[in-house]
Amino acid sequence: MRKYTKLTPEGVRDVLFEECRARGRARERLTEIFTRRGYQEVMTPGLEYFDVFNLPGAAIPQQEMYKSTDHAGRLLVFRPDSTLPIARMAAARLQSHRRPMRLYYCQNVYRSCPALSGKSHELAQMGVELLGASGLRADLEVIGTAVEALEAVAPDFRIELGHAGVFQRLAGRLEVSPERREEIRATIEAKNYGALDSLLDPLGGSPQAEAIRRLPRMFGGEEALAQAERCDLDGDAAQTLAYLRRLYTALKELGLGGRLMVDLGLVQRNDYYTGVVFSGYVQEQGGPVLTGGRYDGLCGQLGAPMPAAGFALDLDAAARLGTGLGEAPPAAVLVHGEAGYEAQAQRELARLAGEGVRAEASVWESLEEALAYAREAGIEKVLCAGETVRELTGKEADL
Amino acid sequence: MRPLRIALTKGRLEKSTVALMERAGLDCSALRDKGRRLILPIGSGLEAVLAKAGDVITYLEHGACDLGVVGKDVILERGGQFFEILDLRFGKCGFALAAPAGADFYSGYQGKTIATKYPNVARRFFQGKDMDVRVIKIEGSVELAPLLGLADGIVDLVETGATLRENGLAVVEPVAEVSARLIVNAASLKLRKAEIEDLAAKLEAANQ
Repeated sequence: MRKYTKLTPEGVRDVLFEECRARGRARERLTEIFTRRGYQEVMTPGLEYFDVFNLPGAAIPQQEMYKSTDHAGRLLVFRPDSTLPIARMAAARLQSHRRPMRLYYCQNVYRSCPALSGKSHELAQMGVELLGASGLRADLEVIGTAVEALEAVAPDFRIELGHAGVFQRLAGRLEVSPERREEIRATIEAKNYGALDSLLDPLGGSPQAEAIRRLPRMFGGEEALAQAERCDLDGDAAQTLAYLRRLYTALKELGLGGRLMVDLGLVQRNDYYTGVVFSGYVQEQGGPVLTGGRYDGLCGQLGAPMPAAGFALDLDAAARLGTGLGEAPPAAVLVHGEAGYEAQAQRELARLAGEGVRAEASVWESLEEALAYAREAGIEKVLCAGETVRELTGKEADL
Repeated sequence: MRPLRIALTKGRLEKSTVALMERAGLDCSALRDKGRRLILPIGSGLEAVLAKAGDVITYLEHGACDLGVVGKDVILERGGQFFEILDLRFGKCGFALAAPAGADFYSGYQGKTIATKYPNVARRFFQGKDMDVRVIKIEGSVELAPLLGLADGIVDLVETGATLRENGLAVVEPVAEVSARLIVNAASLKLRKAEIEDLAAKLEAANQ
């Protein structure tokens, strides 16, 4: 049998020096933003019960989850998403906590993708959840945080707004079977204009059907919103649209005009979103680097009804965008302790640390080896700790 | 910003696509005379690469290409996350379920065996009918499988039906219609909407 001792499983990988550094830098910047805005960090376990991710209407397809069982045979999954566990945590443990709750997280999620597709199965994500608040102010707070986060890691971004309610409300008034409604939703999601037409044609020209027909094309800048407004919707759908307009105007006042987009055809499946949804895009990234939205029904399903919204940012993408930092520079000083003075070297290292000097301890037996190492690693200054600590200079250092 | 990059399916679809692009007024001389180049400029602001059908989707999904022209057969079999914005209406054919002529495919209670090059299409078709079938993937001429008694029927692309008839098979039921589609990477459509819609509109107009 082949032993897989030197390989990592498909879809996961080691992350080394430069990339770790870029990821760490992105994490620091985001942490600074989130904590400054009053969000507190939480961690949820890497393993959760399958049931948490199998809620009606919020289920993640089971073939996309890595599963295991516990000692009692109960089905476990490797955390495939952070929002559901945080909603579970809030519903179970933070019921009496002051509202709103501002939480942020930085953790990996696991998704099983088709073999050989080149996709990552382990995704580093950082995001926030604002629980127990709804309305324009709360949505602005979450999107404003998302914008600040994107600005910190990817200055040239676009943010796109949609609303889960537009399609839900229009489709709710179509007289079609649930299966047909799902087909309609899928064609809107794929912007498959032709197939959508052939699904809607038999339904006659009701205003809802005509508005739905135009949904996937209504994306872009402010004109997309204007286009939707010209559809003469009534009732709930019109209110939803009016809300989106207010949010758009508010974000424009934030100076986001040119970076703001709208897509009324954002209708994802397996969606716990109930209100505004948004995605962040960056050139050359292939897919969104940030996704989020409002999910007012989810906590209720977990037994503690409360409105909530949040987003997750792809930390790997943030790190990719922040590369160019290069590897960390070599230490400024190497401290070698002569035989019998090993502890002296560690003391010198602590002293240098106090001065903010980046120094390494030599782990070599002889001074010659330590010098050779310093030359190879590009460390310019070598200190030798004995009776006293002295710097090796001139001929002595050229050994 | 780099030119929009379109991945074309090599072979028959390529010829039809190039003809369509020329009718739309795009300069396809580099595509007519490829030489050894792999990335071929089309006028300014657009460049093409040629790839096998499945790879068109792969390049597109990863954002290495912004647009692609690929058969609906490949989309149905392979699936994926992208926008399918235009039916180009060439490369037309259809998926069909075929079985030995004269036999009643749906009769009896024995589980059926289906030979196909398109296991996902076949599986989904029978799932839609709540039918358990055994799907066997065949790489070459699928018509052989029922003749050798390996399968009760086949799910395959059918153009004229001549091959089926020659082998004593007949279409039991159409499964899906197929033609070439213009597909777009999700992020590209959002970030370069005007350019992409302009190109799609040109192609659509030239296709009338």
